[in-house]
Amino acid sequence: MTADFATMLSAVFPEIGLVVLMVVVLGLDLLWRDERVRRLGWITAAGCLFLVVLSLVFALPPAEPLLIWGGMLRLDAAGFVFRIVFLLGAALTALFSLGQDDLQKHGEYYGLMLVSTLGMSLMASAADLIMLYLAIELTSIPLYVLAGFRFRDDKSVEAGIKYLLFGAMTSAVMLYGLSLLYGFSGTTQIAELAEQIDRHSVPVSLLVISLVLVLVGFGFKVSAVPFHFWAPDVYEGAPTPVAGYLSTASKAAGFAVLMRVILTGFWAVTPIWMDLIAGLAIVSMTVGNLLALTQTNIKRLLAYSSIAQAGYILVGVAAGTSFGMSGAVYYLMAYLLTNLVAFGVVSVVGQRVGSDDLSAYAGLSRRAPAVALILLISMLSLGGIPPFAGFVGKVLVFAAAVEAGRWWLALIGVINSIVALYYYLIVLKSAYLLRSEDEQKPLQLMAGWRVALLVCVTGVLVLGVVIAPWFEWAGKAGWALSIY
Amino acid sequence: MLADWLYIGIFLIISLFLPSVALIVAGILGPKKPNPVKNSTYECGVETFGESLTQFKVQYYLYALVFLVFDVEAIFLYPWAVAYQVQTVFYVVEAIIFVLILLFALWYAWRKGALEWV
Repeated sequence: MTADFATMLSAVFPEIGLVVLMVVVLGLDLLWRDERVRRLGWITAAGCLFLVVLSLVFALPPAEPLLIWGGMLRLDAAGFVFRIVFLLGAALTALFSLGQDDLQKHGEYYGLMLVSTLGMSLMASAADLIMLYLAIELTSIPLYVLAGFRFRDDKSVEAGIKYLLFGAMTSAVMLYGLSLLYGFSGTTQIAELAEQIDRHSVPVSLLVISLVLVLVGFGFKVSAVPFHFWAPDVYEGAPTPVAGYLSTASKAAGFAVLMRVILTGFWAVTPIWMDLIAGLAIVSMTVGNLLALTQTNIKRLLAYSSIAQAGYILVGVAAGTSFGMSGAVYYLMAYLLTNLVAFGVVSVVGQRVGSDDLSAYAGLSRRAPAVALILLISMLSLGGIPPFAGFVGKVLVFAAAVEAGRWWLALIGVINSIVALYYYLIVLKSAYLLRSEDEQKPLQLMAGWRVALLVCVTGVLVLGVVIAPWFEWAGKAGWALSIY
Repeated sequence: MLADWLYIGIFLIISLFLPSVALIVAGILGPKKPNPVKNSTYECGVETFGESLTQFKVQYYLYALVFLVFDVEAIFLYPWAVAYQVQTVFYVVEAIIFVLILLFALWYAWRKGALEWV
């Protein structure tokens, strides 16, 4: 099916909007150059929300997936859902960055964030290997800079360099895998890969080599074990809102391309990639959770927790069915809100208390009862306790695994969830049970933080209670990913 | 096909063989009478000083970056100009947007002081 020009143009309205928004933010930064630049965070957030509306109005996916712009992009429900996820993530991250002068006083900070969001949005709807690779780089390069944005802080610079080195390395390996895929099939069109590989009867062993190389790149993006070494150091060093953005939107983008490429490009070796992904899921869950148990810095703890969460989502992918993909998409939506609110609280406490250690959370329930309650909700949602979003996500991915006959994968997942509860509850123990000397001093919250925290928490509750409409979208996205 | 590669191989061997023979023969037959002046480092008739690894001002890098952007812009405009006869309005608008974005980048670099030599 081909599209006419007007459809193609309106389908990329949100992307065009992101470029325009970036130009506006950078331009205002240049024109103002005074106290007014602090408003840029609000402008970015409002712009992103406006773009969400724009994509709801103009870029709604058609019933049948549609290739646009000469087969570079694919207009389907998956790209649509992920784009909204990224835009929401960017908006909330922009709000959490308010009040941090070393971030918010630089227009580049928001500009880079918007460019990276643009890259993610293109990643999720890329239908061509070249477009895919360009989008991945467009996402990654601004994120390397953002991770090292506090260039006077050694830890932040270290985080930036570490992320860059790991990212460049894995990206090169992945590119090699993609080039092999092109060599086997003679096409860069993701939709045609399966057919061409079938026709040329490519040996399984060669396809598996390509699969492993490609998985290195995607494994890095989603921070799955054994490509996770960067995560704790980068999350710890990077500015907290950036760490939150890295662990949610960037990870969701990684999953979007992972599902798209392996489902079609490696159609011929489906049982093998299922086993490989299942293996990745098991080690990610286990290693992530076990290493998280002993952490005392909350950002490192959340980093290991996010590695484990990547493992749970991989369980859904390993099922290999349309239902499994839908579960993974739902999990990603729930995870975005839950983890963003967790990092939001860390950002707030880090700003006001000046430490990211677990001890900084002592007496939080007395200093700021609302913040402590929000922390409670996010930690329980991460741990998979109903009625929060994380629970629904876990149910869906484990159900998909059982349905696909991989009950042992679900079993390992459940055991891991129980282990994970221990360290989530440790955080809550500091917040609720431990006393501190500063208990009488209430925490001052900025308006932007309040809005962002409130939106996230509402989202976590809504995704956990009213499941049907969101699952319908996740289902459409999963379906769009698995048909070609 | 193979014969073509054979020629390349023969030339490769000859091109490695001849210079190495010349160097080795000169090394064996030439007289060796070293003295301090002969052994000293020679650089345009001037004695060298300092390390060869010196620090450059980081601003060269900024200049190079700004230059690169416009260099690439020129390259991208060549194919556009070649196809000018068959273009519709859409392609012209596209090119204008492209140039405008780069102009914005120049303005940005200018305002941020990237073009000032400190």
